[in-house]
Amino acid sequence: MHDAVLACSRWLENTPWGVTVRDSAWMSPVIQWMHFVGLSMWLGTTFSVDLRLMGVGKRRQTAAELSNGLFAWNWIGFGVAVLGGFLSFSAEATTYVQNTGFCLKLAVLTPVALIWHVVVQKNIGVWTRTEQSSAIGKRAGLIEFLLWISVVAASVAFLLTNAVTHP
Amino acid sequence: MWAALQHAEWVTILATSRWLYGLVSVVHYVALFSCIGTIVLLDLRILGVAERNQALPAFAEQLRPWTWIGAGAAVISGFLLFATEAADYAAVTPFHVKMLIVALALISALAIEWRVPKWNRAPVIPVTAKFLALISIALWLGAVLAAVEIGPLTGLG
Repeated sequence: MHDAVLACSRWLENTPWGVTVRDSAWMSPVIQWMHFVGLSMWLGTTFSVDLRLMGVGKRRQTAAELSNGLFAWNWIGFGVAVLGGFLSFSAEATTYVQNTGFCLKLAVLTPVALIWHVVVQKNIGVWTRTEQSSAIGKRAGLIEFLLWISVVAASVAFLLTNAVTHP
Repeated sequence: MWAALQHAEWVTILATSRWLYGLVSVVHYVALFSCIGTIVLLDLRILGVAERNQALPAFAEQLRPWTWIGAGAAVISGFLLFATEAADYAAVTPFHVKMLIVALALISALAIEWRVPKWNRAPVIPVTAKFLALISIALWLGAVLAAVEIGPLTGLG
């Protein structure tokens, strides 16, 4: 398992894009910028919906209306964030996969949070037939909110301990 | 002055504790994503490319708490992170540029919030509104770019 992951990482690092990003002086910060811009859209939209589902804050729209209205920008943000993340991962894959925070983020927390996000998006109409979200909807919103914060926490743990930024 | 801040006892505790520093960083990231994301969403609504089914003031009101709670938390946590290397940050141009752009972006966000009720009374959203919204988006893109360039340009962070 460990060998397979390292082999994949080595392959990624030697892809044309992996080599280009690693050898460039200016691309890494620009890619990080892309990742953060995408995340602002992804988390700005996702948190707004989760908090509305939890019944916190203003109630000018139901959570389902808000979720539908923000759907396009939600997934545009996700696409931009993933592309940026994938490119920076490709440049330093073998180093990144040896960091516990990174593995936790990529292999566990992000997939779980993402699956949960899709479940919430699919069911939000059922959970918000009235102005008030149902009890299960409220809990689902809170869980998604906490899941994404845990993804950010794992990313920060990674940033503070990885060998590329802290040799 | 900045050196005194950096060497204050509570700042050295924050700077030397990985857990505390990490916790403040998590707050900073979560807060700024909420703040910037919701501001840009309102800008996109003004430009007519997001949430067209919802009235502008209602949409602004829905996002407002997350924008300004996020802004407050991002400023406080940002100040704490700045304090751990205050003298160094205060001495470098990329950090000054970041602070200037963030200040301008926050002023533009406030101006937009303040004008939303007025723009809504007009039959169509005025060109000035769209222009301000575009400036706001550009400023936030610039603020994040300035932020990610501080590390590579100065070795700080």
